[in-house]
Amino acid sequence: MTQSKQLMGRAFIYSLLLGFAIIYLAPLYVMLVTSFKDIEEIRTGNILALPNTLNFSAWSKAWSTACTGGDCHGLAPYFWNSIRIVVPSLVISTLIGALNGYVLAQWQFKGSNFLFGALLLGCFIPFQVILLPMAKLLAWVGLANTVPGLVSVHVIYGVAFTTLFFRNYYVAIPNELVRAARLDGAGFFAIFWHVFLPMSTPIFVVTVIWQFTQIWNDFLFGVVYSGPGTQPITVALNNLVNTSVGGKQYNVDMAAAIIAALPTLVVYLLAGKYFVRGLTAGAVKG
Amino acid sequence: MGAINIQNLTKSYADTQVLKGINLDINNGEFLILVGPSGCGKSTLMNCIAGLEEITSGDLFIGDDNVTELSPAERDIAMVFQSYALYPTMSVARNISFGLEMRKYPKHEIEATVQEVAKLLQIEHLLNRKPSQLSGGQRQRVAMGRALARSPRVFLFDEPLSNLDAKLRVEMRTEIKKLHKRLGTTIVYVTHDQVEAMTLADRIAVMKDGVVQQFSSPYEIYNDPANRFVADFMGSPSMNFVDCVVFNDKLVIESAGQRDELPIPNSEALQASGLENVILGLRPEMITEPKPYKESTYITHMQLAVQVTEPTGPDTLAFGEWNQQEIQARLSPEIGVQAENHSTIDIQVDTSKAVLFHPKSGERI
Amino acid sequence: MLRYLERSLPRLVLAPTAIAMFVCMYGFIAWTAGLSLTKSRMLPQWEFVGFDQYARLFANPRWHVALDNLLIFIALFIGISLVLGLLLAIFLDRKVRAEGTLRTIYLYPMAISFVVTGTAWKWILNPGLGIEKLVRDMGFSNFEFRWLVEQDMAIYTIVIAAVWQSSGFVMAMFLAGLRGVDESLIKAAQLDGASVIQTYWHVILPIMKPVFFGAVVILSHIAIKSFDLVQALTGGGPGYSSDLPANFMYTFAFSRAQMGLGAASAMVMLAGVLAILVPYLYSELRTKKV
Repeated sequence: MTQSKQLMGRAFIYSLLLGFAIIYLAPLYVMLVTSFKDIEEIRTGNILALPNTLNFSAWSKAWSTACTGGDCHGLAPYFWNSIRIVVPSLVISTLIGALNGYVLAQWQFKGSNFLFGALLLGCFIPFQVILLPMAKLLAWVGLANTVPGLVSVHVIYGVAFTTLFFRNYYVAIPNELVRAARLDGAGFFAIFWHVFLPMSTPIFVVTVIWQFTQIWNDFLFGVVYSGPGTQPITVALNNLVNTSVGGKQYNVDMAAAIIAALPTLVVYLLAGKYFVRGLTAGAVKG
Repeated sequence: MGAINIQNLTKSYADTQVLKGINLDINNGEFLILVGPSGCGKSTLMNCIAGLEEITSGDLFIGDDNVTELSPAERDIAMVFQSYALYPTMSVARNISFGLEMRKYPKHEIEATVQEVAKLLQIEHLLNRKPSQLSGGQRQRVAMGRALARSPRVFLFDEPLSNLDAKLRVEMRTEIKKLHKRLGTTIVYVTHDQVEAMTLADRIAVMKDGVVQQFSSPYEIYNDPANRFVADFMGSPSMNFVDCVVFNDKLVIESAGQRDELPIPNSEALQASGLENVILGLRPEMITEPKPYKESTYITHMQLAVQVTEPTGPDTLAFGEWNQQEIQARLSPEIGVQAENHSTIDIQVDTSKAVLFHPKSGERI
Repeated sequence: MLRYLERSLPRLVLAPTAIAMFVCMYGFIAWTAGLSLTKSRMLPQWEFVGFDQYARLFANPRWHVALDNLLIFIALFIGISLVLGLLLAIFLDRKVRAEGTLRTIYLYPMAISFVVTGTAWKWILNPGLGIEKLVRDMGFSNFEFRWLVEQDMAIYTIVIAAVWQSSGFVMAMFLAGLRGVDESLIKAAQLDGASVIQTYWHVILPIMKPVFFGAVVILSHIAIKSFDLVQALTGGGPGYSSDLPANFMYTFAFSRAQMGLGAASAMVMLAGVLAILVPYLYSELRTKKV
């Protein structure tokens, strides 16, 4: 009696979990199959149907010849733009965040907690409120519509998060370590280098993944602060989808969308554990 | 040399003064223990000596050098922390050698020192391990090794044994004492454990509320406490305190329904004070079963109504009342068993080491 | 001198961040606030007109549509994400097989950008060839599903896509919370005779209150900032029927050269975020100190 009831319960749980798994996977599946179909197949078949043949023409078109607004070189140049934006932003904001977190957690001074609070609040500001003055500032220093300009923007607003991550990681480390190292004759940077950096691998991974997905997926800063030659891939994808030259090409749209999503998806699959940790750390801990 | 001279040292955080004018003169090679309840400022004082906290006012000398303004690294001090503070990513060997490395010692010298220290502390087989692979006692040894490696002028120990289990703590205590005998380096050692303080120290500084209450040898601290706080804090089980009326230079005690008068040493001071009420301080071991071979003018025979007994093994603590205040007596185990059954027993009270305190201020009379 | 430098090192290291923060966050907010009180259009011009821009903003029907949309979006997006996330977390926590794989599947949309999400759902919800056609092909030839192009319904497509993307994240937060619940508490509840559902309702969920609040704060933060999803999925359309405040701000500040108005709308957004955030942070900090 109770056993069959328990069995029913398990079956219910599993079918529900599996059902949702299918729902969550469906869009990705639809994107994939659509990207391999030709236009005729899309028009006659339904979105769930498998493609008749594996047709890569939509992919090559999305990569190298599709039109994104004015020009028609595909997503490739914008893919590299994104890399040129992401890598320096990521490296700089992570390093600054590590040092900031080290100071805020282990070298507190009068007012350092206030600074941290102000920075924390900055993580939550809707960026719309800084868009206009930032545009002015970038124009004023001559960085409007440039990659360095976008990198600076990502660094400035990313540092709040990276600092938060590192601060929360380092704050759990007893201050006695710093004290011991100071008695051993090590200074501020020597302690960071010899004592703290070697134990920071997990938090570096978390932070790098977080910053990578944030900056790669950014659309707002990209669309506001980039020029025709410096747009990141998200902006280019949006342009590609909304360019209606010669009818909608859903297969190309989907291939382009997958290309734009691929780097972050790969990172997620390879280091999902750290990705989750970054999300929850960036989210809940204050 | 490693003599430490602390002059009028104060330390304040914002509005609260945690150290209120500390003066201590510690001899070279001395084993000094700072003891007191938590929050008394003993750890702050140690951090000030180390240079990890800035001094608000006053001066600090190590040897002949005024080190008040020097950084921790320049003071030539090594410290053993309560949590050991071993660098988690470094091997034991590198933990020990890190201080030498930072001071740019030549490589062969560093290696030789590590070997020497490891041998002294019997941790040679652990040199390649990481701190996380060590037991509590082994970590403790490594932490000491790190301090020893630099052969500094002064060692600071910040409650180094409090994370060990009881048995290991006693072992390590002996070992630290041996080490001190062998090296002869000045040690300042913070603890809240008064047994540790009594067993290890050449001299003890008892602290409370940022003030040194008494600074003298363990013997004097135990037998000649400066005030009621010191008397209460040092010694386990702690001293009995009984409010008494003074009568003819003697103290009136009511016990088991009878009235007794206890003679006290140094009654001149009591007379001079003119007090009619005092607090009698008497250690439990001075209240025992009658011991005929111990007769003297300060022995009084009386009775005690025993309420509870606590056998500890070598002797049994018996709880009773004097002047309606709880006191403890220290009985032999055999008498202890009897006391359990007969609620009232014969006792002898030895007041040769009794101390008297002012009923209001708690100062010694 | 050297010693002074050494002592100031922590301050020096933090200085660039502090300066950037005060200029580029708080300074810029002040700048935007100032701008919202001027009649700036193409270029900033510092002729103050008081709260005229705010008056214009709230007289603008498009702004009201954006605000109404935001309310619908916040309520549904947060409500559905919380229920779904909690449900999935509770079931995943029942010691199921392949938990890791399932978790990965629920969470992967979070790694994807809103632009990609919008693009994908735009295709799936496409009236001519998407779900509508799928269901019709299955034999329901009168089935209609054209929310994407219906003025009143377009905002709900944004809810669907946003829930798909973010509910896995809520699941991860709740799962982490559930794993943090003391096992002995559950055993105690069982000994007290509570059923599984009673245990969750009376014992476990009350413990998870902070996770609830945390999730609500983050989801509303995502909701108020969402801009890319609307841009990619509906473009704010049909017409401006699915605009959110963020899109309103972008359109007026950058496409329509109405800086003052855009600044005013941004300030209202900031006020909205602060209205949620300040009580949350206040309660967080207070409980931490006690």
